[in-house]
Amino acid sequence: MTKEIKISIAMLAIGLGSMGGYWLMTKSSDVIEKKSIDLMSKERIILPQYEKTIYQNIPEVQSYLYDLEEQIKQGNAVLPLSDDVLGKNEKLAQNIVLKSKAFLHDVKEGTQLLHNDIMRIRKVFISDLKPKVKEQCQKSSCYLVEKYNFVTNATTQAIVDIGHKKVVDINYYPNMQTDISLRLTHIAQAIALHSPEVAKELGKTPYEHDMTMANVRGSLQDSPCQNSAHLCVAPTFANHKKEEALWAIVDLTELKLAAAKWAGLGKTSTPACISERTLQNRYIMENYCQKESYLEKDGWKLSYHITGSDGLEIREASFHGKSVLHSAKIVDWHVSYKQKGAESLDTSTETYIEGRRVEFVKGEEGNYLFGYNDAMGCPMFSTSVVLPFNGPQVRELPQKDGFMLTQDFRNPKWPMACNYRYENRFEFYNDGSFRVVGVNKGRGCGDNAIYRPVMRIDMALGDKESFYSYESSQWKVWEKEESTFVSEESNASDYPYKIVSSQQKRGYYIEPNHGQFNDNSRGDNATLFVSKFKVTEGDMDLLTLGSCCDLKSDGVETYINDESIVQSNVVLWYVPRIRNDTREGHEYCWADTRIDDYGNLDVQVWPCTVGPKFIPIKEKR
Amino acid sequence: MKKYFPILFALIILLLAAFLLFFKNSPISSEPRQSKNVLDLGTFHKEKSCAISPKFLKDMHIPAPYLIDLSQKKYTGIALYYGKGLHKVLHAKQWEEYGHFSTYSVDKKGNIYLVPMPFISIKEETFLQQKSIYRLNSHTGIVTPFMTLDDIVPNKNNPYGISAIAYDCSDESLWVAAIDETDYRHEKGVIYHIDIKQKRVLNKIEGFDALSLTLMQSSKGKYLLAGSARNSGLYAFPISKNSIHTPAIALLKLPNATQHIRKIRVSHTNTLMLESIEFNYSLIVQTSREDRMVTYATWEEEGKKWKMQLKQ
Repeated sequence: MTKEIKISIAMLAIGLGSMGGYWLMTKSSDVIEKKSIDLMSKERIILPQYEKTIYQNIPEVQSYLYDLEEQIKQGNAVLPLSDDVLGKNEKLAQNIVLKSKAFLHDVKEGTQLLHNDIMRIRKVFISDLKPKVKEQCQKSSCYLVEKYNFVTNATTQAIVDIGHKKVVDINYYPNMQTDISLRLTHIAQAIALHSPEVAKELGKTPYEHDMTMANVRGSLQDSPCQNSAHLCVAPTFANHKKEEALWAIVDLTELKLAAAKWAGLGKTSTPACISERTLQNRYIMENYCQKESYLEKDGWKLSYHITGSDGLEIREASFHGKSVLHSAKIVDWHVSYKQKGAESLDTSTETYIEGRRVEFVKGEEGNYLFGYNDAMGCPMFSTSVVLPFNGPQVRELPQKDGFMLTQDFRNPKWPMACNYRYENRFEFYNDGSFRVVGVNKGRGCGDNAIYRPVMRIDMALGDKESFYSYESSQWKVWEKEESTFVSEESNASDYPYKIVSSQQKRGYYIEPNHGQFNDNSRGDNATLFVSKFKVTEGDMDLLTLGSCCDLKSDGVETYINDESIVQSNVVLWYVPRIRNDTREGHEYCWADTRIDDYGNLDVQVWPCTVGPKFIPIKEKR
Repeated sequence: MKKYFPILFALIILLLAAFLLFFKNSPISSEPRQSKNVLDLGTFHKEKSCAISPKFLKDMHIPAPYLIDLSQKKYTGIALYYGKGLHKVLHAKQWEEYGHFSTYSVDKKGNIYLVPMPFISIKEETFLQQKSIYRLNSHTGIVTPFMTLDDIVPNKNNPYGISAIAYDCSDESLWVAAIDETDYRHEKGVIYHIDIKQKRVLNKIEGFDALSLTLMQSSKGKYLLAGSARNSGLYAFPISKNSIHTPAIALLKLPNATQHIRKIRVSHTNTLMLESIEFNYSLIVQTSREDRMVTYATWEEEGKKWKMQLKQ
């Protein structure tokens, strides 16, 4: 081997070796990056499963609510800091600002007092001061006092010259939050420590020393609560062995746990990704939009998921091993409003209310109807406009004779005008009955609203199902696809419809809601359609179905084509018709906001509940 | 001389291997993963745009200033507000023909390039409309599809197609983003570089979902800035000699995690004005100015960091 060949081999070895090393380094950084992405996707989210009332018995919360109520009764909107946390000068500064009209400019709405807290008082820093007051405060002793308005989500800052006993500067920050008071810090800690969700996640009831308190991220910045009009903080429980921490997001406006999340350690401030709405969206997407969930309870077995635009869907439900449902869902809510003045109606350009496209339909007697179709569905990657809040919940029925699976859908700005809230609920009874329920919780755009939820129910009684109506004291089989208006005349001894399987010799009576289900309902006033099963007719996600406002058409008519349904796999479409009521004392499908005894906003809801019940046929009638 | 042939041969092999290795990691790679480096943007200034007013406005004796309204609140498509206090409205029925628009860019001839948007209700034609870039012709005042990108396929799980646009004054090209292929788990957005004259795609960057685009010249070079559709971040792609470099370099994240940057503008020296909205790849409901948050992001050259301030 010549000297030149040896040099060549050495060059190749060193050169290729170096390049290999470089390639491996870049590859390993890719692996680290991928690992961190995987870790992110494994971050676990916990949404609250209990009502906020469970926190009202905590001594710290009780005492706080008592003090708020007392303040309001005495005509004071602002809850001051207690003397025991203040020095002599801070006390003086607080007394001065509480007499300042400018400082108290936003504490009332009309004659109603709004919940305000003094959050902190401290000696001013030079950086707090505008040039015009800098000189004065250099000569005298000045203090900064911060107040937070829980209703308007605004912070007011005052600079107080205690030497001259006067307020020398006021700054108002709408939609801004301040650092919280020590008292609220203790309340947030107490809520986190009493949260059943936190205890379940930690595997034990936590102690105060297990927790570190993440305050609001710096003064006057966004809080971690996604509902940014609320004041939230995030106490944290670290698990050093597993190198992770549980972040409990506490909503101090509502005094409850808003959400929680496991995340890696090493974060010194609340990560931007921790926010109530973001957590909810991710939790719902991961658990109910991307995969099927299963439920087995009281003899019932079923799967369910949230669809792109057809709300919560139940799939393949069975009772004690016998198939009951292939699918049940509410595909749409048609919303329409009646107005006079059809003759002057201009529909040459499209109209939008609160971001929805409004459809106009001319009616009779100079009236016209306008409104829109509300699709409910997944919070991300979907065509829905009314979004799920929290995940599906399983709850006991009021009479304790079964359970319900329910999902709350809302416009984010509900209960503001022209925003809506719907509940998709499926009730499963211990005797094998079930009910498909739609609940409307207002508020909508005003009175004269007509709501029509479009329910699609595909029974699983075999390929040879037959549909009957009870007419003139006998059962009459439906031979073709058709529809009927469901009579409001109720007769306890007779069910007006039934669906049976000729193969399996079993079936269900259908009991429309006339208000007999003890839920303050005023009845369904429904139209019932029966169509032959077709995959393209709603077995998959349906985009908007029909017109919002043509009361002569529910949208399902397009599937009713005179086709034979004798001993076929049939689909039931049930479209209740509800009129809202805004009259005081008679409210129905309505929501309103008032200021409560604590000076906080309180939403009152008057739900309207509709939907038919299906009762298994046990013996021959 | 012949005896040096093995050394020469080894050198050629090494050069070839080095070329292949570095070519693989070169900016042409289509995977714009986030770089870990902090990008020193240097100094940047508000520059006069090359865009001019549409010619048809002059023909109609409509003077500047005018406001382009794409809020879809009162008018479908596009509307122009002008006159004292911007109270007068110019809106043609023809401007409604291609549905709703979300954002725009104006070229040096006064043509307005428009980006489609699915809005509230999905109609039969909605998905088809998301495949095209539209142009309001400077001379005729008529909106027509300027270019259709057939590989854009919106669907009911992601109704979006083209999502952002920026006109490049330097070479009369367009930078256009599309996010149709992306889903909950995978970021598969594409940024296209388009030659306006030839209506031809010059280059593509794959794997980045952009909700806003703008071009910026700083003392350190030229950048395509992109607001992410997936998170609250602002990213930069360096551009040199007409080629764009990946991966995207993360510049900043807005404090509010659900806010996604919809509009990027240099407001004054070293300061960007970022308009943001909530965005989840579902239908946008709130489109008015009040529904947008405005954040001023100032690049502090000395500290090499961004300072952010929410507009009140």
